[in-house]
Amino acid sequence: MDVQGQQMTEPKTAPGLFKRNPPIAGEAEAIERAKAGDAEAFSKLYALHKRRVYTLCLRMLGNVSEAEDMTQEAFLHLFRKIGSFRGESAFSTWLHRLTVNLVLMHLRKKGLQLVSLEETINPSEEDSPKRDFGSRDTQLAGSVDRVALERAVASLPPGYRMVFVLHDVEGFEHNEIAVMLECSTGNSKSQLHKARLKLRELLRQAESTPQDNLKEAAL
Amino acid sequence: MTLQKSNRSTPLSCAEFQEKLPDLFAAGANGHIEDPALLDHLSTCENCSALVRDLQYIADQARQLLQPTHEPSDDVWKKIQESLAADPSYAEPNEK
Ligand SMILES: [Zn+2]
Repeated sequence: MDVQGQQMTEPKTAPGLFKRNPPIAGEAEAIERAKAGDAEAFSKLYALHKRRVYTLCLRMLGNVSEAEDMTQEAFLHLFRKIGSFRGESAFSTWLHRLTVNLVLMHLRKKGLQLVSLEETINPSEEDSPKRDFGSRDTQLAGSVDRVALERAVASLPPGYRMVFVLHDVEGFEHNEIAVMLECSTGNSKSQLHKARLKLRELLRQAESTPQDNLKEAAL
Repeated sequence: MTLQKSNRSTPLSCAEFQEKLPDLFAAGANGHIEDPALLDHLSTCENCSALVRDLQYIADQARQLLQPTHEPSDDVWKKIQESLAADPSYAEPNEK
């Protein structure tokens, strides 16, 4: 019996974040110099991490000017707090957690109540993915490129997108996400599942109209 | 109800199977399934096995997105530098 999924059994442990975020050459020295207030080291750390921090902000916020503001905030915060980085996690993990928390704080200030995730950023019923009890379809596997996925993620409802980005892209665990979003782990799990179902729906839609997309892109 | 102990003998419906999925995927194995009742359903139901395969695929592809695609404008670094210059307390060794 060849049950699908056997090939993907890599256990997901917390230290996995180290694996996913391996140290970058020159980073450790830059961190030490930045701790001593070396301006060039700040510049080096910014250069090393700006793309990932900005991309994270952009995915969480969905707009360029807010994402740039929060990138700025995140690095200023980083430079202020770098003395407290002890190297217990990968630097990029630490930086990303700091960024996520700043973005969430910003969203809360704007009045987006992340506390009751279920109520406020859970999309309405008609937005939620269809249950898939019966329909037979071709499989997605192997057919989705990065651009299509990025586009589908961008069009997820904000609550789904948040959990998907934090868990599946950034690699945070449900218990960490629950703390960040001030929700239950159960809530985080179910949001993630709904997010993936919705993505599947979006990706299938995109697949079923590839010609139109190509035309649009060409114009 | 018959006398038969029936927790295994009634095949799962697609709905019952799919209800278990969020926990299965959250358990850390990304949809790796061991429960015989679930495996049973999976091996006979094309629809649910396609669903599981797609969800694993999506989770797997998501990791690609960790590689950043976007770059902030140069303004961002300019503003950071201005703030750094204006505030000498950045990264003071004594700061907690
Ligand atoms: Zn089924």
